[in-house]
Amino acid sequence: MLQHDNDVGRKGPSRRGLLTAAGVMATAAGASALLSGCGAARASGNTLQFWNFYAPQQTPDPAVKRQAQWFIDLVDAWNAGHETQIELVYVPQSTYTNGFKLPSAFAAGSGPDIFLLSPGDFLRYYNGGVLTDLTPYVDREVIDDYGDNLDSRTVDGKVYALPMEVEPLALYYSVDAWEAAGLSEGDIPTTWDQLLDVGDRLRTDTRAGLVFETNPGYYQNFTWYPFLWQGGGEVLDRDGNVAFDSRATRQALQLWKDAVEHGIAPRTLPAAGDVISAFRGGNVAIWQQGIWQVSSFRSYAPDFRYGVFKLPVPPGGEYTTALGGWSFCANSLGRNPEVAAEFCGWALGRMTEECIDRMVSWCTEAKSDVAPRLTALERGAAAGGYDFWAMKKFRDEIAPGGRAEPRYPPVVYKAISDAIQGTMLAGRGVDSEAERAAQSIEAYTRSYEGASLV
Amino acid sequence: MTTSTTTRAVAVPRPAAKGRRRRLSRKHREWVAAGLFLAPDAIGLLIFVALPMVLSILLSFYQVSGFGSYTWVGLGNYERMMHDPLFWDSMRITGIYVLVLVPVLFCVSLGLGLLIKQRLPGLAAYRTALFLPYVISLVVVGQLWKFMLDDQTGLVNRTLRAAGFEGRSWLGDPDLALGSVIAVTVWVMMGYYMIIFLAGLQDIPKEYYEAARIDGAGPWTSFRRITWPLLRPTSFFVLLMSTVAALTGGLDLVFVLTNGGPANGTSLAIFYIYQQAFGFGEFGYAAAMGSFLVLIMVAFSALIFALTRGGRFDHDD
Amino acid sequence: MTTEATPTPGTGARRTPLSPARRRGSATARGRLPLTVLAIIASLISVFPVLWMVTSAFKTRDTVTDGRLIPQKFTFDNFVYVFSEVPFARYLWNSFFISAVITIVALLFHSMAAYALARLRFPGRETAFMLIFSTLLITAPVVLIPLFLVARQLHLLDSYAGLIIPAIFNAFGIFLLRQFYLSFPRALEEAAIMDGCGHWRVYWNIVLPMSRPILSALTVFFFLANWNAFVWPLVATTDPDLTVVQLGISSFQQQYGSNWNYVLAAATVAALPMLALFFAFQRQIVESIKTSGIK
Repeated sequence: MLQHDNDVGRKGPSRRGLLTAAGVMATAAGASALLSGCGAARASGNTLQFWNFYAPQQTPDPAVKRQAQWFIDLVDAWNAGHETQIELVYVPQSTYTNGFKLPSAFAAGSGPDIFLLSPGDFLRYYNGGVLTDLTPYVDREVIDDYGDNLDSRTVDGKVYALPMEVEPLALYYSVDAWEAAGLSEGDIPTTWDQLLDVGDRLRTDTRAGLVFETNPGYYQNFTWYPFLWQGGGEVLDRDGNVAFDSRATRQALQLWKDAVEHGIAPRTLPAAGDVISAFRGGNVAIWQQGIWQVSSFRSYAPDFRYGVFKLPVPPGGEYTTALGGWSFCANSLGRNPEVAAEFCGWALGRMTEECIDRMVSWCTEAKSDVAPRLTALERGAAAGGYDFWAMKKFRDEIAPGGRAEPRYPPVVYKAISDAIQGTMLAGRGVDSEAERAAQSIEAYTRSYEGASLV
Repeated sequence: MTTSTTTRAVAVPRPAAKGRRRRLSRKHREWVAAGLFLAPDAIGLLIFVALPMVLSILLSFYQVSGFGSYTWVGLGNYERMMHDPLFWDSMRITGIYVLVLVPVLFCVSLGLGLLIKQRLPGLAAYRTALFLPYVISLVVVGQLWKFMLDDQTGLVNRTLRAAGFEGRSWLGDPDLALGSVIAVTVWVMMGYYMIIFLAGLQDIPKEYYEAARIDGAGPWTSFRRITWPLLRPTSFFVLLMSTVAALTGGLDLVFVLTNGGPANGTSLAIFYIYQQAFGFGEFGYAAAMGSFLVLIMVAFSALIFALTRGGRFDHDD
Repeated sequence: MTTEATPTPGTGARRTPLSPARRRGSATARGRLPLTVLAIIASLISVFPVLWMVTSAFKTRDTVTDGRLIPQKFTFDNFVYVFSEVPFARYLWNSFFISAVITIVALLFHSMAAYALARLRFPGRETAFMLIFSTLLITAPVVLIPLFLVARQLHLLDSYAGLIIPAIFNAFGIFLLRQFYLSFPRALEEAAIMDGCGHWRVYWNIVLPMSRPILSALTVFFFLANWNAFVWPLVATTDPDLTVVQLGISSFQQQYGSNWNYVLAAATVAALPMLALFFAFQRQIVESIKTSGIK
């Protein structure tokens, strides 16, 4: 302990050092106390917040740049003509869909006034009472113009979310890998068996033959539903009865299970999920992806030779795919729900030229999507927006016959997800998993109160 | 110290003169001082830790929609928890995680501490190298290991294949994924606990080892008779801290590495709680499970305290 | 600490004859080689992924996930991008400012509390310690929503104060400092008290200067923890001017596929200052914990 005594005796200068530190600390504490004043004030007033995962952000990706610009232009146009201003708040996609931020904000009653919503989340938000009825703010004709695409956002004939895009799923493949494996155009699979065969021929140690989504989540369910539907399977029938425990369910689960167990499909995503670099790096031959990758290829790998084909069907099955896409919503517990709803209607729900052009620009210039409104789809096509071979294929062959992503609430989602994960990755039997999932969905629907699940 | 020693010598007569009155007031002065010294942290902990915990317990008696509506359900959430197979599954996984992680981490960091304690040339370099992973944020660490453990191009599988083995799906196989998460956690944390062990080890007087060596004790005997008993307070600290960290942590890594998969194979209790709260908006239910987890930890710590008589860090002066 | 009862070593081992010891003496020199090799292997395992992160930050998007250590196509663009296209310097500053203030204030508060818990005598001291210690067991995800509500009520959202104040209070530092102070000789402060020094002066003039080594260790730990903080800044701020560095890194993950080359470049930039911090403080860290109560 003597050592310490000496220390104290010697440490004259360091004591001064500590005093300096204390001074810095006091200043810092004072500064932070002052800074705290500006917090809540900013949010109130005559400005509404629009949380989204596009803008404002800086990025070198020309596609993402165009998307960000579209949002900025949209809000600028609104702000120029309206007293209540709108402010864009950017939340990165990874944290928007899978994060703490939105749920905390909504739970604490300080959610955004306007926000983007995916079909998978629709019922949770609707039943939570935060979605404003947008019907009064949308032109009558527009509702017909949207057609089926509003179904999953409608409750009792009222529209609660306006889709900005329709995103069908298909299979992308690398032409180089295809040729290297001695395959030709004629080998494009149209049945599940052919798909597995082709995947098997394409795979190597460092190249996945065929990629299905592996991470548990709403997205994985979304990509699996088409395989369920193709065999006539349903989670819930038209009347809302549980129909999950069926032959079609088992065969769809079996397809993914076989693909993984025979080593055709990988257990994790190549290139940590970055589709472009996985394809260009030669680590994947076929990957089930959405129409959005067309614009990614266009901006990041314009010279890369890829192809797209429709999801193959099981014996006796009928072609379909799942249609995703996000929509605009107005928070009914926000600062000014009427103006927020008015904004959504103004942005996407008018029969005006300006409004239709806006959607065309989003779906064909900023992104690569099928336009949810017929007029916009036609106008986009007339303007050459679907002339590119891949876009044409999506519009003419892949999207028709597709079904909107269902809006099942969390418990239903989780039951299906566990069945997919259990059979695909843990080697569990498809019979028991289908049965178990059906039972938990059954138990849930019996006590469920809220808007129709289908 | 010389100055204060002299003043002390001068001051000695003073307390003798006013002894009794001063001592009493001094005692009270000490109480007041203690209160003032404790106040900033106590108030802060009360507002930012204890109050949220109390609110969270209150929340556990409500059904919460996630959008500001609360319905009193009494013990409903706890009842649901008792009958939720996914929750108990996640508790089982947490149990395995803690039971494997804590001893492995303990042994690895102690081993590294013992290794680094040998005055090897380039000591600072090893020390820095081993602490390096702890410097990087867990989100980045998770991402990094996702690349290293990639099925096709990951360095681990490439190395295995080059050596003539088959690659494995380290994060996609339910039998391996939890092990991979544990291995990554050990990789991140070993340097941190190594430093703590190292400090404890260097505090053991060298003369003891010297004496033991002269007496002919081998390294194992030295370790068993000198290092291990003298290191007990450090070991206790590491054990307690790493257990608490294991029970409540792991969320960031699981989130990035596996998102709870494959097939719920890495769905730790804390991840399941997160999923219920922030994924499904079931804040009341999540609060119930969270409170239950905190209760388990309180019981566990009490047990450890009782078993080790406070881990000997309560030695009175 | 030397006053503690310690088992007298060697008493049991005395039975062993002397001769093997001499042989072992020469063996230690040779025994070093395997130990050195072991240390090198352990260090490599530890460093390798980090090294991979750094070299991959120089790769292009196509090759970033190829699993190779040495980039085949070498580029500085990722770093240029990180600093030019994104206000990454601002993010670094935010994180630095927040972490620095938290660290300084926390060290002061925690050492004060620890001093009271270790050196002052007052009723309920052990209870107070146990209560404070038990807050270590409260898990962040469970209290995140209530904490958010509390912060909102106090108008702390979307401000530096909101990022700083809730992060200050953590029992870990109090616990560690208390252990350290328990090992101080009583005589030290008694002398000062005899002199008529108040407790504040004892704390400020004697205890605090003597805590320098452990405070420097805690500086590194606190600074690191807050530099790497992610969830609370994410929840508590929407203002882009308040973006911290870890949020900045995560923003490189786009909607459809991530630019891992940017993520790794940003992560490298974020890790470098912390590495420098550790390198500068590493001797003190070991020294400090060594003299603390947990030794």
